[in-house]
Amino acid sequence: MGRLFRLFRRSLFLKVFSLTAVISIALIYVVGSTLYGRITGGIFEEKIVSAISEGRSAIQYAEYRFTITGLNPKSNYRELASEVVKSANVRAEESGREVILINSRGVKVNGIPAVSTSNFLEPESVPTELRERVRENPDLDWQRGNLAYVNGKVIPGIFVGKAFDISGAGRYEMYLAYDFVAQQNNIDLIGRSLWVTGILLLALILLTASVVLRMVIKPVQVAAEIAESLTTGDLKNRMNVKGEDEIARLGVAFNQMATTLAEQIARLENLSRVQQRFVSDVSHELRTPLTTIRMASDVIHAARSSFDPTVARSAELLLSQIEKFEHLLQDLLEVSRFDAEAAVLSLDRIDISALVLKCVEDISVLAEEKGVLLNLNGFGEVIQAEADSRRIERIIRNLLTNAIDHSESKPVDVTIAHNDDSVSIGVRDYGVGLSSQYWNRVFDRFWRADPSRSRIRGGTGLGLSIAREDAILHGGEIRVWGELGKGANFVLTLPKVSGGDISNTPIKEIPTAQSL
Amino acid sequence: MTSIMVVDDDQDLAEMLGIVLNGVGMEVDLVSRGDEALEVFKNSQPDLVLLDIMLPGTDGIEVCREIRKHSTRVPIVMLTAKSDTHDIVKGLEAGADDYMVKPFKPSELVARIRTRLRRVTGDINGTLTIGDLAIDIVEHTVARGGKEIPLTRLEFDLLVALAKEPGRVFTREALLGEVWGYRHSTDTRLVNVHIQRLRAKIEHDPENPTIISTVRGVGYKAGGSGSRS
Repeated sequence: MGRLFRLFRRSLFLKVFSLTAVISIALIYVVGSTLYGRITGGIFEEKIVSAISEGRSAIQYAEYRFTITGLNPKSNYRELASEVVKSANVRAEESGREVILINSRGVKVNGIPAVSTSNFLEPESVPTELRERVRENPDLDWQRGNLAYVNGKVIPGIFVGKAFDISGAGRYEMYLAYDFVAQQNNIDLIGRSLWVTGILLLALILLTASVVLRMVIKPVQVAAEIAESLTTGDLKNRMNVKGEDEIARLGVAFNQMATTLAEQIARLENLSRVQQRFVSDVSHELRTPLTTIRMASDVIHAARSSFDPTVARSAELLLSQIEKFEHLLQDLLEVSRFDAEAAVLSLDRIDISALVLKCVEDISVLAEEKGVLLNLNGFGEVIQAEADSRRIERIIRNLLTNAIDHSESKPVDVTIAHNDDSVSIGVRDYGVGLSSQYWNRVFDRFWRADPSRSRIRGGTGLGLSIAREDAILHGGEIRVWGELGKGANFVLTLPKVSGGDISNTPIKEIPTAQSL
Repeated sequence: MTSIMVVDDDQDLAEMLGIVLNGVGMEVDLVSRGDEALEVFKNSQPDLVLLDIMLPGTDGIEVCREIRKHSTRVPIVMLTAKSDTHDIVKGLEAGADDYMVKPFKPSELVARIRTRLRRVTGDINGTLTIGDLAIDIVEHTVARGGKEIPLTRLEFDLLVALAKEPGRVFTREALLGEVWGYRHSTDTRLVNVHIQRLRAKIEHDPENPTIISTVRGVGYKAGGSGSRS
């Protein structure tokens, strides 16, 4: 039931079609039954009129004949009565005419039976009310009733009756009964015809409705399907436009919309491609002169002992700034590669644990320089995963450098943990920390928590941004927790198998109460 | 005196390279056009070629291919402003032994050049055999059934590194350290490309290598069918 309702709600066709069906059925029913009523009424009325007029003349004729016969003293009423009653069958082709002759007092006089009927019709068929009226009233009267026969047959019909006196025999009532068999047959026929017509009409209406609906709905359906495919990014589909009607106009407008959309998107894509291309080209073009500068400054730097102190110091600054510039350029190029979606993973099954240890070893010089103690947890086990070692190294290096830079010389915890699906590396410091409003902003390019704070030595401002891009490229993620004055926790989680599930992270970024 | 041929269209960079290399006692020939490189190479017979990828005339990759046709021995180090996979792999496949991405440290360049020029005799003298190959370390030749197989110096070094310890599984990082002199693993594609090139020359069927086999997820080893782990 619920399914039917949902289907009904979802399908315009079903909605309009069933509405049309309900209205058509109601209309056909009303028209059909009115028509039926009118026709039936007409047929019966006609029969009644003809029955009354025929009955009247038949009774008059019988009365006349009784009167004539009464003038003759040797009159034979018995024979006449029998003849009058039998005359019912005279016009047999019309069928269904019966005659009833009843002595009002219910006695047999002069050979006329008290009650005589034609064709074994039960005299009790004559409606009592009619008899009462006929007895009291000299005029012809009629009433509808049922013709009941001795053999049990009952047929609806009409009774026409009148009372008259037969001289020397008393008062008699004569009734003529006409059945409605022919009329009923006609009416049945008409009824059947009306049914058939109604059903045919309904079928025709519904057929037309469905054809029209299809004509209208099909393009709407196609439009809906194409619109859906547009939303999924397939901008090539178009509607088939035929003719110049409203549907065709819908199609033309729809196609124009899709084309405009595709053009806009292409324009924007091109724009961003041009921009990315530009960034990439600039970075490349800067590299050759930078190499020359780099080598020159190296030569100068190597000879600095022969310079006077200010020049020697300048040579040192020159070299360190060039190094910084190099890093920046490298990061910028990496970012432009991510933007152009040109970054490609080169996956190998590697031991993540060993990789992280190597990074820790590499960074230990910097850590020592800053007086930062690195605590390792969870290492000592081979943890294999499909990963791009260059990128993972870069992520870990970035997280470690970042933690050491913000540690305020407090220790940094490096933790590794894994489950069936994923491996997590947590880098936790207890230094500056950051408030929750900045948790996601730390990944923004060139973002600084406090703009008045100078950039930390060596950082390009792109490190964490690149780290996150690298993690995402692996189908992994980096989560952050931090609190001012309590430090920060960065947790990198990677799927063990490329494309695997990482919803159940082995390390949570929010520290437990005791480690706060 | 070691002679280095530098092919780069940037005059200033080329000159600076000259200053740096002269400073460490190397002689430098400067060439600024790709289409002149081969001629100069034939005339001067340098000990090593530094080759920029983007060059006027003939591009660096093509120059590399031409030089390789002429000499399998000379080490070629590509200099590239692009670190994009595509260019580097193309260069390596064209026969370059190593590459340096601009901007590089002069000291690193010198170290790389020295690695390429050193003779990896090590502590072994005489001959090594691996499979049906005979490696003559002194003569620097590899032969199968008396017939010499021409290898580049780097390919020779790579083969010797593996053949010295048959059965030992070398990680790509270990090979990078041993053969290329890298202390930090940077790019394992170097190893992959050169193993492919080496196999193409020495294996009976490079698709099913028997002399240098792959140990999946770890690296390479000499001899035996590759164990799958």
